[in-house]
Amino acid sequence: MAKREGMVRVTDATERITHWLLAGSCLFALLTGLGLMFHQWEIIPTLLGGYYATKWMHIFSGVVFAVSLIAAMIMWWHECKFVADDGKWIMQAGGYLWEAEDLPPAGMYNAGQKIFFWFVVVFGIIIVLSGLVMWNPLVFPVVLARWAYMLHVMSVFAVASFVIAHIYLGTFANPGTVQIMFTGWATKAYCEEHKGRWLADRELKAEAESAAE
Amino acid sequence: MAEYIKLIDLTKCTGCRACQVACKQWNELPAEKTGFSGSLQNPLDLSYDTWTLIRYDEFEEDGGTKWIMRHDACMHCDWPACVKACPSPGALVKTDTGAVVHDKRFCIGCKACVVACPFDIPRYSKKEEKIAKCTLCYDRITDGKPPACVNACPTGCLQFGPKEQMIEQAHKRADAVGGAVYPSNPKYETHVLYVIPTEIQLAQLQHVNPNPKMPTTILWWKNLFKPFTLLGIGGVAGLAALHYMIKGPHRVSEKEEGGEADG
Repeated sequence: MAKREGMVRVTDATERITHWLLAGSCLFALLTGLGLMFHQWEIIPTLLGGYYATKWMHIFSGVVFAVSLIAAMIMWWHECKFVADDGKWIMQAGGYLWEAEDLPPAGMYNAGQKIFFWFVVVFGIIIVLSGLVMWNPLVFPVVLARWAYMLHVMSVFAVASFVIAHIYLGTFANPGTVQIMFTGWATKAYCEEHKGRWLADRELKAEAESAAE
Repeated sequence: MAEYIKLIDLTKCTGCRACQVACKQWNELPAEKTGFSGSLQNPLDLSYDTWTLIRYDEFEEDGGTKWIMRHDACMHCDWPACVKACPSPGALVKTDTGAVVHDKRFCIGCKACVVACPFDIPRYSKKEEKIAKCTLCYDRITDGKPPACVNACPTGCLQFGPKEQMIEQAHKRADAVGGAVYPSNPKYETHVLYVIPTEIQLAQLQHVNPNPKMPTTILWWKNLFKPFTLLGIGGVAGLAALHYMIKGPHRVSEKEEGGEADG
């Protein structure tokens, strides 16, 4: 791994690819899903080649979403386990709404990001399972199938709202963040500010390694 | 265009199946290969190619056998769950005649209507990837003719006419024979009505929903969570914009960096 002056590499290629597979399939499924749900937005299925094609694109993007969701869960669940400091972070809303006095340093992810992760996991699983029922609803009891349609859209409401917050917080609200998911690199100052505990752990580990050599 | 109702008087059905045949003929639906199942009911269920059939329910009564024959097809709901569930405009339409019609050209085979229907009417064909069901012969009734099944019925069991007149007739007949009109919920109107003699219990009959209504899950799906998705996306986007204008971006302190930190 080439070193870059004043920069820290935060993510590896696997993480970035998984993130964008998850994000891309999620947004495309959202777009096609809204196109199928809101008859006023006929423009979406029209541009995509009609309602029938849109149905299949929605299903296939759902399959990609399911696979990348599993990969994301395996990859990030450990870093997204809650720690004691997360409570303090949440009580101060991460310093986003008012001036926080003693915001604890975050690990790889702060408490808000962890909540987002678990939110996507829980509602993502509901979306995937209900979507599987909706794909072939006639093999299930009709009551279960009806619940699937409702839970699907309810979970989309939950996830889509949070996704907008996630996009805002990763771009406009926190300059320097989205690059982590493009290039993998962030400035050292960024990491000190946003991932203090993670950076300190990492430097400790590096020191221990060089001492051992 | 006026609203119409098809009235099915169960006291008059002889189970001749003329309605079944007429439906096939008018709608150019192929015959199905059927077998002996121990029942007169044939075919055993509605299908993509069978939009109506007579259901035979057998009972023992006074040591003998009693049959109840029932013409079963789409009920043409006034507030149809199938139309509410359908994602493809034009595939399922409630017309101003009251008939709920499907158009195979626009059906994308998602099967949501099959799930949503409180009467279990639409039938899906895997081969065609589409659904089909009774249209109340929309193409006939808009031309001033009764539906093919009504036209073929020899006993007067099936009748067709303007909505108000048929409702009145249904209740008059129910009173005369000592029966009830189904569906009986005044809040759930359909464009098909039954006159059911009192000795028949709805629960004894196959494929009857004694208390039809718009399924709550379907209603919440379309009338609650569907608009919620836009409220959620738009609301959070609005809050984000407000946050950006009030608090501004959170920039990493630049003095430590000696350069632009936001890359």
